[in-house]
Amino acid sequence: MINESTAERLIERALAHGADFAEVYAERWKNRSLRLLDLEVQEATSGIEYGAGIRLFFGTRVVYAYSNDLSETNLLEVTDTLARLGGEAGKVDEKGAGGLDFRKALPEGRHAPELPFEARDKRWRIDRLSEADRAARVGPEIKKVQIHLLEWDQDILVANSEGLWTSDRRVRTRYMVTAIAENEHGMQTGFEGPGLAVGLELFDLEPPAEHGRAAGEQALTRLRAKPAPAGPMPVVIGNAFGGVIFHEALGHLLETTSVARKTSVLTGKLGEKIASEVVTYVDDGTIPHGWGSSEYDDEGAPTERTVLIDKGVLKSYMVDRWGSLMTGYRTTGSGRRQNYTFAPTSRMRNTFIEAGGASIESLFEGIEYGLYAKKLGGGQVKPGSGEYNFAVQEGYIIRNGRIEEPVKGAMLVGKGPESIQRIVAVAGDRKNASGMCGSLSGTIPVEVGQPHLLISEIVVGGEG
Amino acid sequence: MTLQEAQTYLLQRAREKGVDLEALATGSRELTLRAREGQLEEITGAERGGIGVRVVVAGKTGYAFTEELSSEALDWVLSEAVENAGLQTEMDGFLPEGRSMGRHDLLGEGLSVPLEEKKAMALTLEQEVRRDERVQQVGAAAYSEHEYQTELASTRGAAGGYRSGFAYQMINAVMSEGESIKQGFELKVSREVSALDPASTAQEFIRKTGRLLGARPLKSGRYTAYLEPSAFLSLLAPFLDHWSGKQIIEGKSRLGDKLGQKIASEAFSLYDDPDHPEGLMNAPFDAEGTPTRTIYLLRQGVVESFMHNSQTANKLDQELTGHASRSYKGVLGVGAHNVIVAPGSGVGLKDGVLVTDLMGVHAGANPISGDFSLQALGLKIESGEEAYPVENFTISGNFFDLIERIVAVGDDLEWSVMYLAGASPIVEIADVAFAGA
Repeated sequence: MINESTAERLIERALAHGADFAEVYAERWKNRSLRLLDLEVQEATSGIEYGAGIRLFFGTRVVYAYSNDLSETNLLEVTDTLARLGGEAGKVDEKGAGGLDFRKALPEGRHAPELPFEARDKRWRIDRLSEADRAARVGPEIKKVQIHLLEWDQDILVANSEGLWTSDRRVRTRYMVTAIAENEHGMQTGFEGPGLAVGLELFDLEPPAEHGRAAGEQALTRLRAKPAPAGPMPVVIGNAFGGVIFHEALGHLLETTSVARKTSVLTGKLGEKIASEVVTYVDDGTIPHGWGSSEYDDEGAPTERTVLIDKGVLKSYMVDRWGSLMTGYRTTGSGRRQNYTFAPTSRMRNTFIEAGGASIESLFEGIEYGLYAKKLGGGQVKPGSGEYNFAVQEGYIIRNGRIEEPVKGAMLVGKGPESIQRIVAVAGDRKNASGMCGSLSGTIPVEVGQPHLLISEIVVGGEG
Repeated sequence: MTLQEAQTYLLQRAREKGVDLEALATGSRELTLRAREGQLEEITGAERGGIGVRVVVAGKTGYAFTEELSSEALDWVLSEAVENAGLQTEMDGFLPEGRSMGRHDLLGEGLSVPLEEKKAMALTLEQEVRRDERVQQVGAAAYSEHEYQTELASTRGAAGGYRSGFAYQMINAVMSEGESIKQGFELKVSREVSALDPASTAQEFIRKTGRLLGARPLKSGRYTAYLEPSAFLSLLAPFLDHWSGKQIIEGKSRLGDKLGQKIASEAFSLYDDPDHPEGLMNAPFDAEGTPTRTIYLLRQGVVESFMHNSQTANKLDQELTGHASRSYKGVLGVGAHNVIVAPGSGVGLKDGVLVTDLMGVHAGANPISGDFSLQALGLKIESGEEAYPVENFTISGNFFDLIERIVAVGDDLEWSVMYLAGASPIVEIADVAFAGA
């Protein structure tokens, strides 16, 4: 994509303009997408994203430019324009005159695919996906099954003025099954979307039949669900994708993107007890083949396992280069971006609440009336105030400790920092699930996770 | 290769192979300036371009795109697109007969302002917002401009292009008073930089966010909802596709068999205008080269038209409407240009809840069933007065029931680009379920 001498000349030029730090990022990303409706191909697309981003720091000020003309002439021009935008035009600096000696870091292949995309043709994929389609049809109410397969093969290169030269390759596969059920009461959907940093072996690791069936059953459950009750009540949240609630309401508040700007309510609380002591919260970018894993982050730093909250005490934020510069905390390999069109910011990778000691049954015992949010949908949070909202994808009423009728349309509403103090018990069945997270530096693959856990009180919004 | 050279190369290779091909190329430019504590903290300058093809081989359609413009990458695009087409079971795809559509400039000199003035715009916005002592933190105060050139060409004779773009000001900050903290957001967009005024954007932010400070819980119940324009548009956004010919064919629309039928209150008319003087998504022709025109989705509650591209219009045997959408990375779809809720005779606040913000629209609304349950912020209205702000509540229901209960629509338009590009007045809806404390 970019050779060493080009990278060196770009960085030298940037430093000569007075930049304190210069970074070149280049990527070539081949992707394929296949959408099926009742096993008929609705859309089949393939593409190459290709471009470079140049980021310069003048103190803590950041300027960023990208282009998909990767010729040296063009990128030098882009660098000059950037320096002019940064207000440092005409300044000549001695920095960078000595040349750079890049220290090369190459990926070891810790998340490399076993079954590469080229090993099977596109018909084979449709055959494997048909297993999900068949399994999803758990009843005559299932009218349609949508399946979406994504294949990503991304090569990146990061070089910077500190002599860093890192390349990484990220191969990821995910399929998403949506079962649509309909009867005289209306239409409802069920969803499953397993994804990993693997090739086509995903179909063996996450069997399509299993996920298809789960999507179908969820749609049927929602079809017979009654409108959810409203008001404050105890809530048991299910494992795996249930972790999205703390991804939104806690994780985002621990990114230096908001901490350094002091827009997070958890700014300046390192060492303080911010959560119930049954809560240990981890962000781990090294999980082998994890959907949000990579060997290096998008600033070229090795990823790591970062303990954010240990038994309720805040231990670390998620820190990228800019965040480190602003706050003084060490970087945690958390600089991520969707692609070259975004400058990296601090982001989550695979984030989860660790398993606790309670049994799942004990969470429900003693609840006279509450909600079991078995599966959550997406949600949103305002990091300034910590206000969040989450749709409950699959929910049930808890009555006298028993899981009873399913309910639909429930929304969990609250403030993150309050909710994490109200986690009163955590079970031992921690599991992760894959999802996409959108923020300042684009939409990126992440895992969320947790065991079953009990929150003493959340406001539930519903129509019933 | 340049984008135009790549377009020519692909058309020629397709003709050699006897493949019908349409090449959509877009080149775009962006400049974003973000102020923080009196300095420009973040600056992004960008140029991006790419080319995406749609091929039709024996009635089967396939797609591929590239941003790398080498002949190797372009050959890969053509072979992937043909392979992707081969997977299709449907055999009634076609490329519409094209014609020369000319070159259009919808932007003119709208963004031609010296760089220093643009920088000042971001800095002034932050400064103006910080004047209010209740403003604690400014997350972002930004000026941003986007300019793009779209070029369409096909082996069936389509050829044309247009240039467009817009600039916006955006502020995102936290305000507090006593124990109460509210994060707010304000966005002003225009095709003319000169129409953006940092001082009034700042005032608007302070007014909208400040009025929510000291919010109290809302008692659960059914109230009259007064949805402010941006709140109504964000509620409308997930359900607009029920008017899409594509959704109708896929059986995902509730309106497919409702043409000419009354499904909403008479107070509610909804139209799409591709050539509005203030429109941010104006386009002389759609992504297939069909000329665009204004259509009514709903006129006084009656379904008057759906939105179509050539394939959906053909399948449903309805008129072409100029709503083909496609980016160079995407596939042919159906999309609106500027969706407008027709102004009515006005709304008089009496008793109920003025809903100012809806959150979580992507998660809390089921686009197929119409069900929604959304976190909201707002003001309690008592005897026509804004009594006090309210928080921690949701509004829920079904979109299609809700539009039957529209009582009145305000008389002036406010533009938004948050969830969809369009405009709406304030909308009054009777008997809406609110869940709070």
